[in-house]
Parts: sequence; C-alpha cells; structure tokens
Amino acid sequence: MLELKNLSFSVAEKNENGEEKRRDIIDEMDFTFEAGKFYAITGPNGSGKTTLSRLIMGINQPSAGSIFFEGKDITGMTITERATAGISYSFQQPARFKGVTFRDLLSVAARTENEEKLLEIVRRVGICPLSFLDKPVDSTLSGGEIKKIELATTIARNPKLAIYDEPDTGIDLWTIMPMVNLLKKEQIDHKTTTIVVSHNRSFLDVADDILIVDHGKLRYHGNLKNALPMLNDFRICSFNPCPEGEQDAQCFR
Amino acid sequence: MLNALDKDLLKAVADLDDLPQGAYSIRKNGKLESRSVTANIDIVTDDKRDGIIVTIAPGTINESVHIPVILSENGLNDVVYNTFIVGAGSDVTIVAGCGIHCGGPEPEGHEGIHEFRVEKGARLKYVEKHYASGHGFGRKIMNPTTKVHLEENAHVEMELTQIGGVDEANRINEAVLGPGSSLMIMERVMTEGDQKADSRNEIILAGEGSSSNMISRSVIKGNSRQNFYATMVARQKCFGHIECDAIIMDNGANETIPALRAEHPDAELSHEASIGKIAGDQLMKLMSLGLSDEEAVNMIIQGFLR
Ligand SMILES: Nc1ncnc2c1ncn2[C@@H]1O[C@H](COP(=O)(O)OP(=O)(O)OP(=O)(O)O)[C@@H](O)[C@H]1O
Ligand SMILES: [Mg+2]
Repeated sequence: MLELKNLSFSVAEKNENGEEKRRDIIDEMDFTFEAGKFYAITGPNGSGKTTLSRLIMGINQPSAGSIFFEGKDITGMTITERATAGISYSFQQPARFKGVTFRDLLSVAARTENEEKLLEIVRRVGICPLSFLDKPVDSTLSGGEIKKIELATTIARNPKLAIYDEPDTGIDLWTIMPMVNLLKKEQIDHKTTTIVVSHNRSFLDVADDILIVDHGKLRYHGNLKNALPMLNDFRICSFNPCPEGEQDAQCFR
Repeated sequence: MLNALDKDLLKAVADLDDLPQGAYSIRKNGKLESRSVTANIDIVTDDKRDGIIVTIAPGTINESVHIPVILSENGLNDVVYNTFIVGAGSDVTIVAGCGIHCGGPEPEGHEGIHEFRVEKGARLKYVEKHYASGHGFGRKIMNPTTKVHLEENAHVEMELTQIGGVDEANRINEAVLGPGSSLMIMERVMTEGDQKADSRNEIILAGEGSSSNMISRSVIKGNSRQNFYATMVARQKCFGHIECDAIIMDNGANETIPALRAEHPDAELSHEASIGKIAGDQLMKLMSLGLSDEEAVNMIIQGFLR
C-alpha cells in the first residue's frame, strides 16, 4: 500500500576543510509496506527514522526517488493532500500552540465538533482522560501528556496509514501497555496499516514485521526473532548490509 | 434609538444583541444615548468634564456595568473621561468598548480615559473591545487609556482587545498596586493594511506582596506596525511578569520593549518576549490533520488571540 522507490533525502554539510558536501540522511531506500500490517521501525539515534516518516507525510521533500500510496505517485503531493488521502503522522516532537486546545485539534482531526463524537474518540483512545479536552496544547503540558494528545489526533483521523514516531517517549509505565494494545486494536479493528518508530521492546513484540534503519539505509526487514542478534549487539550494523532477499541477520557476521 | 448599524457595533464591542441587563450607559456620537442604574450601581454625568462617574457600592456582588461608545458620525472626534469607583469587597464586571463606523472621508476618533479606583478587597473584571468598520476613507483613530489604582488586597483582571479596522491607536495602561493586590492584564491587538498601534504600559508594584502579570499578544499583518512598551516597577517585595508575543505576517513590523525596574531587594520580576512568523511545526501539524495552509494559519491566529 506504500512503496518507497529509491528514496533519498540529502542535506548540504560542511566538512572539516569547510567544503560543501552532500550527506544522505535517507540513502536510496526501497521498500513496500503491505496493507493492514503492523511495522515497527527501530535503529540508533540519528539513523534517519524520523526523516523517513516525515518524507512519507510530505513534511520533507525527497532529493531523489518517489513514494507511491495505494498505487498512486504521491511524491509531489502536499501534506494536506496526503492527509486527505489517508496518511496520518504523530510527531516525535509535537507542536505546542498558544490558545489552541485539545478539543480544537480533535475537532479538526475528526472533522466534527459534535460533543458526543469527540467524547467517543477520547473513550476509544482511552489513554487521555476526558478532562484533557479543554486543555490548551501549549508549553504547560507535560512531555507525556502532549504525546498522548498527539497520538489521539492521529487515531481521530481514522487513517489508512498511521505513522507513530516514538509514541512512548515520556509515557509512564502504566500507560505503555495500554498504548501498545490500543495501536494493535486499531490495526485489527480498522485494518490500519501501522508504522511505529520505537526503541521499546513492547512495540517490537506486537509488530508483524521489524525494520532496522541505520545510516539512512534499511539494514534489516523480518521477524523479531531474527532481528534479536542485531538488536542485542548493534556493532553488527557497522558491517555490510546483507545481500538482497536475505532474511537472517546472522548474515551480518 | 439604536439603528441597525449601531446594533452591529454594539454586538462587536460588547457582545450585546440589545440593551444590556443591569447598569449601563450608552454613548453615541458624543452624547448620552441611554442609561440605567441599579440599587448598588450609580452612574452620573461628570459635571467638570465630558464623561461619567460610575460608583459601585461596597459589597456589590455579581453585578455588571456596560458602557459602550458608538461613533457613526463622520468627522467626529469624541473625547471622554470616565471614572469608576469600585467599592470595598465588591465583585463586579465592567464592559467597555468603542465601535466606530466610518462611512465618509473625514477621520473619526475616540479618546477614552478610564480611571478606576478599586477599593480594599474588591474584585473587578474589566473587558474592553475596540472595533472599527466601514469603507469610508476617513482614518479611524482610537486612543484608549486606563489608569487603575488598586487598594489593599484588590484584584483586577483586564481584557483589552482591539479586534480590527482601527487605523491608528495609541493605547496607554497605567496601574499602581497597593499591598497584597493583584493585576492581570491580557491585551490582544491585531493590525493589518497600513494600520499602526502603539501600546504603552506602566505598572507600579508599590505595595508589599502585590503581584502583576501582563500578557500581550499581537498579530501584525500586511504593512502594519505595532510597538509594545511595558515597564514594571517594583517598590516592595512583590512579583511581576511581562509576557509579550508577536506574530508577524507579510511585511508587518514590530518593536517590543519590556522593561523591569526593581527598587527593592525582594522584588521578583521577569519577562519573556518573542517576535516571529507562525511556527512551522504548528502549521505542519494542522496540515497533517487535513487543513489547508490558509486554514491552518487562521486557526493558529484565532487561538493565539483567544
Ligand atoms: N533538515 C535537516 N538538515 C540537516 N540535518 C538533518 C535534517 N534532518 C535531519 N537531519 C539529520 O539527519 C539525521 C537523522 O535524523 P532523524 O531525526 O531522522 O533521526 P532518528 O533516527 O529519528 O533519530 P532518533 O532516534 O534520535 O529520533 C540526524 O543526524 C539529523 O541531525
Ligand atoms: Mg526520530
């Protein structure tokens, strides 16, 4: 349902000698996400996971390659058009506003101001208390609170493709499992293709497929069991990538 | 009699569909239009200068006073000096506002000086809105001034809004705070086109344990210009904070100067100021929820000025 074709995102950087150089943050990535599946993307800090997510949402523009959504080339589409097409993204660092409340965001996301419908969404999400509704989404929210609100606005859109960028950062121990179960339930009940960027084992456990990104490249795609050697010892990542089609991370050794 | 245009202006500045409940005094084109007093709230014409004196009896609870001003006569410059005495221990709301409709070529203006004496332990909420409409060439000028004296343990909350259409504004707010009193000011100003608005504020924290928080939100569109100056002076152990945020769009210009002056070692004063475009992450978030670029901007501005 989502295809990345030769996708690259590069930025200009100065090296030690002050010369301009291009650095590939996402490096010729090819991958096809299948409809209705639950993917967990992991990888070291700075490996390019957020950049990849933002390329899919249209927040960043690729320097090369293309993105297809449900068979249609969306590379040139705006954020708004992609949102309308059914893609939704929960930011790693959610925006903080002044004077805009959770209710406002939820109404926009769900395209309704109807109180009953909004309450229904908050109940469905479960992890945000009803008292959040009239809270301003500003700098007074705690780190965990704003992540819960961010996640709720994504669910409220009933997207075909939901991307959650580290939804668990700042989330308390008592909410992690309900959050994991919620995203899993959304995937099953609404056939939402789900991509969760996370370092949290709980998300990896429920994912159908694991992707490991390093230095802007997809280093692994497969089940959790075969990913474990890499996850337990990331030095492996500095080795060459496996040959095309190889499913076993042991090949890195 | 209020005509349809007057009613529109009244709705814009005082959120009134008709004559208000409780005490009121409506001024139209420099003259008294209608007035009503209650057992606890008296309104009389000032015999020394153009304006009114509103006296709220001590202990008056949950009452309100509306004093809107309407200007629709081209070329008029209306100057008014209103005095408010808010009696000890009372808890009241005063709604003021000025609506100008300018249909002709001459400038029209309103200069309103509102002086408040808020007595011991009284609570006052003051809401003031300025609005101008009409397609006449005449410049619409508004110069509102407030002077507030807070006695011991008085609490005042002021909401000052200039919602649009005003070509030129010189806004002045002055306050002197007695012991244990508190003052919260929220000022919102939006300018567009070639409009210009200046806001000058001086808050003197004269009494021990007094506190004040001044929040200013400016939206500067088109080629308009806004300047914001605020000075907080601490004479005793007290607390004061100034927060001024400006969003600049198009070719707007802004100068923001918050100033703090402490004359006592236990004074706690702080300020935050920011000027900038609409934050990119806010726009992107709203667009990712399906809003167009323009819709996203509107929602951010609306929230900001709320
Ligand atoms: N617009 C940009 N300009 C320059 N460098 C960028 C830009 N966007 C991302 N980067 C760099 O690209 C790298 C990857 O960033 P990205 O945020 O995608 O990492 P990540 O895998 O999400 O990391 P984390 O696990 O810490 O969230 C980082 O080194 C970052 O500094
Ligand atoms: Mg990231």
